[in-house]
Amino acid sequence: MPKAWFIALGVALVLASIGAYCIYHVVMTGIGAWGNNNSVGWAWDITNFVWWIGIGHAGTLISAILYLMRQQWRTSINRAAEAMTIFAVMCAGIFPIIHTGRPWLAWWMIPHPNDMQMWPQFRSPLMWDVFAISTYATTSILFWYMGLVPDLATFRDRSKTKLKQAIYGVLALGWRGSARQWHRYERAYLILAALSTPLVLSVHSVVSFDFATSLNPGWHTTIFPPYFVAGAIFSGFAMVMTLMIPARYLFGLKHIIKAEHIEAMCKVTLATGMMVGFAYSVEFFIAWYSGSEYEQFTFINRSTGPFWWSWLSMVTCNVIVPQFFWFKKCRTNPWIIIVLCLLINVGMWFERFVIIATSLSRQFLPSSWSYYWPTKYDVGVFIGTMGLFLTLFLLFIRFLPAVAISEVKNTLPEAHAGKDH
Amino acid sequence: MSAAHEASLHPDEKYKAGKMGQKVVTGGLVGFVVLTALSWLLSGSAAGHTADGTGHSRFFYGYLIGWTFILSIALGALLYVLIHHLVKAKWSTSTRRVAEILAGTFPIIAIGGLVIIIPLLAGRDDIYWWANKGFDHAEHVSASKHTWLSPAFFAVRYVIYFAAWIGLARYFTVRSRKQDETGDLALSKQMQFFSAPAVIIFALTICYAAFDFLMTLAPQWWSTIYGVNYFGGAMIAGYASIALLSMILQRTGRLQRSITTEHYHDLGKMVFAFTFFWAYTAFSQFMLIWYANVAEETVFYNYRMFGEGWKWVSIVLTFGQWLIPFVLLMSRWSKRILPLFAVFCVWQLCFHWLDLYWNVMPNYHWGAEAHGAAHLVTGPLTGPVGENNVNFSPVDITTWFALIALFIAGIGRGLKGNLIPVKDPNLGASVAHENY
Amino acid sequence: METNENNDHDEATSAHAGETSPATGSTSGHDGARASSNSDEGELYGVLAEFDSPGALVKAARKVKDAGYGDFDCYSPFPVHGIDEAMGIKRTILPVLVFCGGITGTFLGFLLQWYCNASAWQWNVAGKPVWSIPANVPIGFETTILLSVFTTFFGMWILNKLPQVWHPFFRLDRFTKVTDDGFMLGIEAKDGRFDAVETKKLLESAGAIAVEECYLDASPANTKMPMFIYGVIICTTALALVPFALVYKARASHSKDPHYHIFGDMDFQAKVKSDQYNDLFADGRSNRGEISGTIPRGWLNDDTSYAQGLENGAWITSFPTSVEVSRDLLRRGKQRYEIYCSPCHGVDGRGAGMVAVRSQKIGQGILPRNLVDPGAGVITQPNGQLFNTISNGNNTMMGYGAQIPVADRWAIVAYVRALERSQFAAGTDLTDAERSAAMGATP
Repeated sequence: MPKAWFIALGVALVLASIGAYCIYHVVMTGIGAWGNNNSVGWAWDITNFVWWIGIGHAGTLISAILYLMRQQWRTSINRAAEAMTIFAVMCAGIFPIIHTGRPWLAWWMIPHPNDMQMWPQFRSPLMWDVFAISTYATTSILFWYMGLVPDLATFRDRSKTKLKQAIYGVLALGWRGSARQWHRYERAYLILAALSTPLVLSVHSVVSFDFATSLNPGWHTTIFPPYFVAGAIFSGFAMVMTLMIPARYLFGLKHIIKAEHIEAMCKVTLATGMMVGFAYSVEFFIAWYSGSEYEQFTFINRSTGPFWWSWLSMVTCNVIVPQFFWFKKCRTNPWIIIVLCLLINVGMWFERFVIIATSLSRQFLPSSWSYYWPTKYDVGVFIGTMGLFLTLFLLFIRFLPAVAISEVKNTLPEAHAGKDH
Repeated sequence: MSAAHEASLHPDEKYKAGKMGQKVVTGGLVGFVVLTALSWLLSGSAAGHTADGTGHSRFFYGYLIGWTFILSIALGALLYVLIHHLVKAKWSTSTRRVAEILAGTFPIIAIGGLVIIIPLLAGRDDIYWWANKGFDHAEHVSASKHTWLSPAFFAVRYVIYFAAWIGLARYFTVRSRKQDETGDLALSKQMQFFSAPAVIIFALTICYAAFDFLMTLAPQWWSTIYGVNYFGGAMIAGYASIALLSMILQRTGRLQRSITTEHYHDLGKMVFAFTFFWAYTAFSQFMLIWYANVAEETVFYNYRMFGEGWKWVSIVLTFGQWLIPFVLLMSRWSKRILPLFAVFCVWQLCFHWLDLYWNVMPNYHWGAEAHGAAHLVTGPLTGPVGENNVNFSPVDITTWFALIALFIAGIGRGLKGNLIPVKDPNLGASVAHENY
Repeated sequence: METNENNDHDEATSAHAGETSPATGSTSGHDGARASSNSDEGELYGVLAEFDSPGALVKAARKVKDAGYGDFDCYSPFPVHGIDEAMGIKRTILPVLVFCGGITGTFLGFLLQWYCNASAWQWNVAGKPVWSIPANVPIGFETTILLSVFTTFFGMWILNKLPQVWHPFFRLDRFTKVTDDGFMLGIEAKDGRFDAVETKKLLESAGAIAVEECYLDASPANTKMPMFIYGVIICTTALALVPFALVYKARASHSKDPHYHIFGDMDFQAKVKSDQYNDLFADGRSNRGEISGTIPRGWLNDDTSYAQGLENGAWITSFPTSVEVSRDLLRRGKQRYEIYCSPCHGVDGRGAGMVAVRSQKIGQGILPRNLVDPGAGVITQPNGQLFNTISNGNNTMMGYGAQIPVADRWAIVAYVRALERSQFAAGTDLTDAERSAAMGATP
């Protein structure tokens, strides 16, 4: 196992370095180094941002919403999913910061008294993003850490070297599993879950506001908030499975992450995929029904215009591919699941690309119509964030409890013996 | 096996409906007829729209609000059943029959809806402007609108929606009742298997039904989230009604031990969650339209924000349907003190009606009698804001009560046999359910 | 993976703990006096009992509570259901705190946005009100959540009196099982009912599989926080202040060093700027003047009638030969006239332009010349003079030569001539056809 782990880490680091170089180049040259030196200014950059944020949402969904719904199977994957959330948000955060063009001035978005007497412009959806994403990152980290504490205490008590004991000991904050502590801890965990649920809804809604508050046909539509949230969960679950299925085999977690857990995740993916497909159809219907020629053109252009290939990929991967999950065979065969999940991740990436590229390349002024094609730096930065994500995930899975030990114990039948007093 | 399931109920438990249903049906139908006749009389003798807010159109508008109100309760209850099977839930087994009874009202709602559909097919424009001749001459109405908004096609869609809902409700109710007798576990499996496609049918029909019945009142206006918003309201109404009907049945001495505070607590959580969801969709729709400030879209909120009376209705709705119940239902006690929770359920149902009123009524003032021929061509939501004020009419309330009476008659039809799925394999777990 | 090794490791640990129990030597009943006899051990902190299942722990907890103990706690690897009620734990106040935190967050979020956009920096964006409440909702929501989360997270640790990395029970090897598979109950000696013998008996009768005494460390040095931790805290605090000190210093200090250039090729481009030194030329200037005896292309102006309106020293009365008077020229002239001339002279040339009206209103300025009035004299001026006035100005009128190209000036001259004529047109100026058409149009 360690050998495979080292090889994987090596690959991840190489990818991350490519990304670091490309980011360096883009920052030093200007963002025109990307293919967005035309009206498609949001380009791959915001596509990737929305994609990564969406990936992150499944972690919160698993840890918070499924907790509120008393879905106990979540305990096998919630810790890894939460870690995935944090890493995905980190990757996502990179993009808008570079996209400002002068990332060293990004702190201007934090309200602070300054000699220019200027304050952030809070009517801008981009400021909402700053607050939503940073709140989301903070909450995810605190939620994740809080869940980790009892498990870190387990690590502390099982470590044999002084150094490990000291490190895990400090990280565990002196947790000793007292019933009085557990009582407050459980309340706090429930409250955090209850807070994370509307938070996750708001984060992707705010991301969708970036688009939907504008006047661009194809962007300005009121179903965007719930539609983006459903899409986020859809892609996020696909990513969780993409990561957890190999991890099950590599780290021998088959007895914890059971086949029925994977099957349940497939079903959630199918359900959210249907919601996304439903939103596509409603958009098309309303574009037709509204009688607005701009809306109608946008949707015809999306499906038959110069970016038809991306639209086709989107529909195939997001609407058709999940339909395979209707069949039990497809929900139980890891190879099929992995392929389908990868396709869904591709499809969800294309969804954001379709929204951005088709609408920006065909705005109201025909004089600013253009076509978008990525440069190697677009690709490089994206690959780099994947490398960063994998690096962090591999480190996590090796050095921190990847499965929520205390929560898994809590769901075992023995834990409920206390009820029959 | 089945004996074991029945054993999960307390031996003294009364779970048979007995003969209460017949009385409820009669009472409901009499109430419906009397109240409808009264509303018709109250709406005056003038046909169509009048400036002072009377006229037969007023009756039809009030009727539409009341009808979409009871429809939303039935839809909410239907989704409760579907979700129960879809996620293989356990806790919701005790109250599932109550939801099935509420979802069993679709046939009677479909008959009630004929009051809207038949005049429409007869060429009357009391509710929908697009049934008016003016619509044909109106500017900016594209060919797509003429295709979609023709009375005949509308009626076809009406039939499709109700065929789907009645079919779904029957599928699950019949199997559930059959299991009462046979205890056959295969029936559970069947229902679980069919619940997934059923949810898809449900989602499509409720969304397009909301577009058709409500959004086309102002045919120039559109919003893609409209169906989702109606769905949110329907879920509040559905869960609140399930809780209320359970409480009423318990008042008759039935189901004393199988529906507990724990179930109400969970129903309360769902009312709370959908209160948030409703507010979320309503805010999304409002904020995006307000922010982009496109004339075709903002017209919807122009009346509701700046109309002298509608402004206050909007504020009351914001506080009544969202803020107050949201803050109060957050706490545990408000869901576990049952008389208080009952008050919240009634409260949310009233504000759900107000939500529908707020959606429907601003479209009222467009008729020729009220504003002359120009309005006839421009349709609803086009005149000056000031012209379009709220004037509550007793007809609005009497039509609402009339349709509630109709709904009660529909409930009465289902009050027979067992009031709880006695042989459901999960019943034991549900009765013993505890929140932690 | 650590979790993988769970099973083997577990047994090893528990076996180890059971065999030696080094802290107290034995698990069997010794009286409290033993504590003072052992030089390693300090004061008795309490007793710890282990139970074999969560159920047994709950039963024991109820028994201990019923016996009247208050200072006791149960320890388990996961929250045991029913133990709160058995131990008589009151519901925590945390939700109330969180609610207050959330309300504060809402308030602060809106206050921040109100202050920034509606008070301190009122900037019109897209015509939206400076205080746009709908646009402030998303951030107000996020701050609500953020403060609620902070209250939950930090409130929980504070109420739990954590972090506290050291605890007397940690001295017992048995206690390490608590985060694995041990279910323990500890009663502290400070409880009023505590009695070393009776308490242990109570625990044993409650079904404990083992009961242990826990002593505080005898040497005070071990119970105190090590000095190096104080050192670390002081050093960290001091270092954390350094950036702030540097910033503070930078506010008032001067430096002769140039600032740091991030984009070398943007700040220092390979080109010569007008005020830079240049050793290519004797005078060292980069800026070069005109070379004597040359003029730029197109600046010759040898046709004085076209360039100045003069022919042989006299104003021309017609148009220069290179200007063709046509409908297009007049149209161009009208457009230019309305841009440059009409603000003062008025669209009809009668001197009632916007500027003139306004200056009359506030009682200032001199009326512009009426271009079409025969008495004002412009009508009789030769074309060349009119051209000159446009180019160089007259009286208080400034010259427009810098703004209007020569060709356009001639277009304006042509238009002014047409304007003059039009204001005094007679019916006879029209052809018969035109006259009847005009008559027909206005019945």
